[in-house]
Amino acid sequence: MRDVRGDSVKRQLAADHSINIDSVRSIVGFLIDSEITSEEVSTRVDDVFADPIIEESATDSLHLDNPTLFSESPDITITIGFKAGVTDNPGKAALDGFRTIFPEAGEDARVSTYITYVFQGVPEEVDADWLSKQLHNGLIERALYSTKGDKSPEIEYIPVAAIDYTPPATIDLEISDEDLIKLSEEGLLALNLEEMQTIQAHYRDSEVRSSRAAVGLPENAPTDVELECLAQTWSEHCKHKIFAAHIHHVDTETGEDTEIDSLFKTHIMNPTLEMKDEVDWLLSVFHDNSGVIAWDDEWSICMKAETHNSPSALDPYGGAMTGIVGVNRDILGTGLGARPIANTDVFCFGPPDWEGDLPDNLFHPSRVLRGVHAGVRVGGNESGIPTVNGAIVFDDRYIGKPLVYCGTIGMMPRRLADGRESHEKNPQPGDRVYMVGGRVGYDGIHGATFSSLELTEESPSSAVQIGDPITQKKMVDMILEARDAGLITCITDNGAGGLSSSIGEMAEYTNGCKIDLGKVPLKQSGLSSWEILVSESQERMTVAVRESDVPAFEKLADLHEVEATWVADFTNTGQFHVVHDDDTVASLPIEFLHDGVPQLRLESEWVKPVNTLFTPPSVSSHTPLLMRMLSRPNIASKETWVRQYDHEVIAQTALKPFVGVERDGPGDAGLLAPIHGSTKGLVVSNGISPRYSDIDAGAMAAAAVDEAVRNAVCTGVDLSKVAGLDNFCWPDPIESKKTPDGRFKLAQLVRANRELERICRAYFVPCISGKDSMKNDYGSGENKISIPPTLLFSLFGDHPDVRYTTTSDLKPGESLYLVGESKQELGASEISFMLKESGEADGIGGEVPQLPNPEKNLGAYKALTKAIQSGIVRTAHDCSEGGVAVAIAEMCIGGRCGAAIDVDGPGDADLWGRLWGESLGRIMVGVKQNNRAEFLSMMKGHSLTYMGETIDSDSLSIWDGDDLVIEAPVEQMVSAWKGSLDMTGGEQ
Amino acid sequence: MVETPKVAVLFGFGINCDRETAAVFELAGATSERVHVNHFVNGDRDLSEFHILAVPGGFSFGDHLGSGRLLGNRMRFAMREQLSAFVAAGKPIIGICNGFQVLVKTGLLPGKEVPDFEQRASLTLNNSGRYEDRWVTLEFDPESPCIWTKGITRIECPVRHGEGRFVMPSTVDLDSLDSNNQIVTRYVDPSTEPGNGITDETLPFPICPNGSIRNIAGICDPTGLVFGLMPHPEAAYATFLHPHHTRNEVSEEILAEGMQIFRNAVEYAQANL
Repeated sequence: MRDVRGDSVKRQLAADHSINIDSVRSIVGFLIDSEITSEEVSTRVDDVFADPIIEESATDSLHLDNPTLFSESPDITITIGFKAGVTDNPGKAALDGFRTIFPEAGEDARVSTYITYVFQGVPEEVDADWLSKQLHNGLIERALYSTKGDKSPEIEYIPVAAIDYTPPATIDLEISDEDLIKLSEEGLLALNLEEMQTIQAHYRDSEVRSSRAAVGLPENAPTDVELECLAQTWSEHCKHKIFAAHIHHVDTETGEDTEIDSLFKTHIMNPTLEMKDEVDWLLSVFHDNSGVIAWDDEWSICMKAETHNSPSALDPYGGAMTGIVGVNRDILGTGLGARPIANTDVFCFGPPDWEGDLPDNLFHPSRVLRGVHAGVRVGGNESGIPTVNGAIVFDDRYIGKPLVYCGTIGMMPRRLADGRESHEKNPQPGDRVYMVGGRVGYDGIHGATFSSLELTEESPSSAVQIGDPITQKKMVDMILEARDAGLITCITDNGAGGLSSSIGEMAEYTNGCKIDLGKVPLKQSGLSSWEILVSESQERMTVAVRESDVPAFEKLADLHEVEATWVADFTNTGQFHVVHDDDTVASLPIEFLHDGVPQLRLESEWVKPVNTLFTPPSVSSHTPLLMRMLSRPNIASKETWVRQYDHEVIAQTALKPFVGVERDGPGDAGLLAPIHGSTKGLVVSNGISPRYSDIDAGAMAAAAVDEAVRNAVCTGVDLSKVAGLDNFCWPDPIESKKTPDGRFKLAQLVRANRELERICRAYFVPCISGKDSMKNDYGSGENKISIPPTLLFSLFGDHPDVRYTTTSDLKPGESLYLVGESKQELGASEISFMLKESGEADGIGGEVPQLPNPEKNLGAYKALTKAIQSGIVRTAHDCSEGGVAVAIAEMCIGGRCGAAIDVDGPGDADLWGRLWGESLGRIMVGVKQNNRAEFLSMMKGHSLTYMGETIDSDSLSIWDGDDLVIEAPVEQMVSAWKGSLDMTGGEQ
Repeated sequence: MVETPKVAVLFGFGINCDRETAAVFELAGATSERVHVNHFVNGDRDLSEFHILAVPGGFSFGDHLGSGRLLGNRMRFAMREQLSAFVAAGKPIIGICNGFQVLVKTGLLPGKEVPDFEQRASLTLNNSGRYEDRWVTLEFDPESPCIWTKGITRIECPVRHGEGRFVMPSTVDLDSLDSNNQIVTRYVDPSTEPGNGITDETLPFPICPNGSIRNIAGICDPTGLVFGLMPHPEAAYATFLHPHHTRNEVSEEILAEGMQIFRNAVEYAQANL
């Protein structure tokens, strides 16, 4: 019987490290701690732990000692198990299965899992310790190994060490400013001096003091519970203090000197609220876990995108998995509960073939890619949510901090059976607050404050968790039934800040709450009060239920085997009141908790960056450049990765991520028909172009919005109803000793926001939800690595009929047109980076793509979407990285079809600009000859250039007037495009 | 004679294709209800209320300990009598993807005339070592007793699994399955003539996406009432879900070839129950 698990390890070592091993075999192990004897277990092993058809089982003995299975002593044996307390999903499932067979196993029964890899024929230079490090992450796993002749490793069950309960402490804040800072830093509070002083002042207020005395709290100093709760609630992660800051902005190019009161209010919220007055479909913006728009009379849709960068840097698998299942909970926590129906994933990594130095404690980019991909794959697939759109972007600077953007779309009925509108929460004082799903453990302490600090070698391992999609799936099933039965009055996710944030935020509706930490179910005993309150343990929702609905709600939880515990009540006392059994441990005014954080004052100064101009080398043919460009990681096919995501569960995906004759050409956007039997559609797309920030972060933002819109236009989206999500990932933009260029980085943020507003207004794309992650740096001083300022713009909108859409693959007999204009815009283009890296060009500087007249683009987009909706256009592809040359090449790949085009035409761009330039607003379109006249009349008055025809040959010819500049066989383009990121190690 | 058969579509514990599976039965003329597994386990609902049972795809219990094993165990130990009675009453059962894995692990497939709940086959890790979502071409044994696949020669639909390689302990087992026409459907090379694609020789990846022995994609029990398959016909219920739909003319009829499997069962129930 073939050992596929072992073979996969073998192939991966060959693919990543060019190490060839004769054979790798795997043994799955279970460590059982229970009252059932091993004799009893041994009779039932094949009922639970092993599959009798394909596996050999053994109890209390090692397979390695069985000479019929392992005749030779292995070269290396490595056994990997989880560290105590780390989420072990197979172990949890095994325990459930164990209890099915042995119902008498008892409450204290525990199962943990391990895996042993047995290596034969290992090359001499391969060291066992090195090999074990490639196979496990020391932050969350333990590994034992042996080499030839040694005794085989025997792993033991390690119980979670008991923690001693520490009673709440009083923290003296009557200390010097210096000591206040020290307190914040050492306690991982991530609060600045002004914020610490604001808290200090609160406890000097005489009214506060007398009210504290009344509930038995220390009068003039916070408890640790209160201080931790404030630190969580006031963290950059939760309060977006940089986007809310007062900014003094200076532009040395124009001489502008202005004050900005909150980038968020000025450039995101106000434009959206103004747009909201003009339409009736923006149901809920900004205040909930995701923004909600009306889809039709019966259904509304919502979308949210999150980042999970720091956890993914430390543990790519667990970090990314908690990212995706976490954003699913944002959807479940929207309104009275929306059902997640699609995921999007956009990643930014260092180059997978990186051969340079790696700073300490950082994983190689290929390992980050594998881990993040696996986490998102497991998180999405096991949750039954299709991944319908995404991207992977590569740049050296993401080695320090990978970006992991996870987005989810949700759907809910406009009205519930009891008549309530489901996008509005309506809790009342007296409603009971339940914690539903997972338990609270030590594994999720300080996530929010940690992500608001930069990554260092000392970053704590408790900041990393592993998601448990099945526990969450059970919870989702249960909550959606509870919603439809009208049992929920308020719901939110437990993410950053745990119960302190979730109940604290919901308590704003009724103006008060009382939480009893003694009721909260724990993974291990001994957690102190503040730890229970702020722990970010996963898979938990907070749900409010009317007292009269309690029996029905609890019955539903029982049916689904979901733990639901009454932990708090809503009040109208104005206080966030926390008790632990009989003692009050915190009492904070709701208003101070949510609105007490002082506004930051920041300095911003724009100085135009200097970049060496990109001067193209002289070349005799552009064909070799095309082949190199197609294999660039930023352009190459990601098919082997994307195919591992389920993109079709729910049976609604009308456009797949890969399209065309062999189903391997690139897709532009996701298109769903979420109501079975109906053709009404929903579009989702993304835009991201971080390298333009090297020249101008404003242009970077404009490019992201335009790309998302272009991708959606290719599907035939209804442009009168689209909404956007802005998701900013920035390096720290606050000037300080460790960030001397903070003013410039903040000026980049100002410019990005201004362009975001300008383009969103022009295209009428309201931003209905967003996110920012503002500390994406690694290290300090000369070794500091800061990411390029990155905006991911995600878009979702209506589609009238999914049958009338396009794909990028050329169909035989089409005429080819370019919508939009090619300008001389090669600055920060993919070709400039490629030729600079190879030494064929000196720099990447020059004109970066700009959008001086977005209204004009919108006109062309609207005409094109109408043509697509009428059925006369079946082929369209967005022009982005690599310009016209790469776009047409990809269309030939998808169609397995030749084409001849001429790039000579209107405008003053030179040949390089026309072939490789990345001017915005451009879409390549294919139209059957019999539809040409109608198409031309529909596009009349808009920028449209005839480019050429598909041809009945197997190569792409690109002409510049009379000169043939590219002649590329389709099959060669296919191998160049598909070869470079296929990291599967070859054979199947 | 039942005019509108009632279908129980199981859900809970990580099953995740329950909504679309329920929807396609409705589109095929049945009424369907998503029923949590525990309703049958606890006994507050009974399978006898229904005419057809569907075990949809998903990741029951995360597929830890092998795909379908833990849900299979719950059914094997807690729903044994209800399932036996359901089969004895001549009512059809389908398991799709994870549902197929569950039926194999409970022993209902390939099974006996009278279920004995003994596991005789398994579905294990794809030879590629990867979970993949891709469309495949299936061909059907015209001589099979399977009531679900009557009149179907060939369809295209997606596979979405990491553990779809069908194995049995010996070739004798496979031969007997074959001679009973229980190998209902297999992966075939789309370039062959419809009706001539079936072969015992394992076809290369990705035509046979998982390395399944004899390219087996789905099997039935000796009665032909219980059917399981790894691919997802419910995900091919509509024309616009086909990966090539933009390469074809837009069609007014939206229901596509994947529907026939579900129609067959509904018609069978209408005629026989």
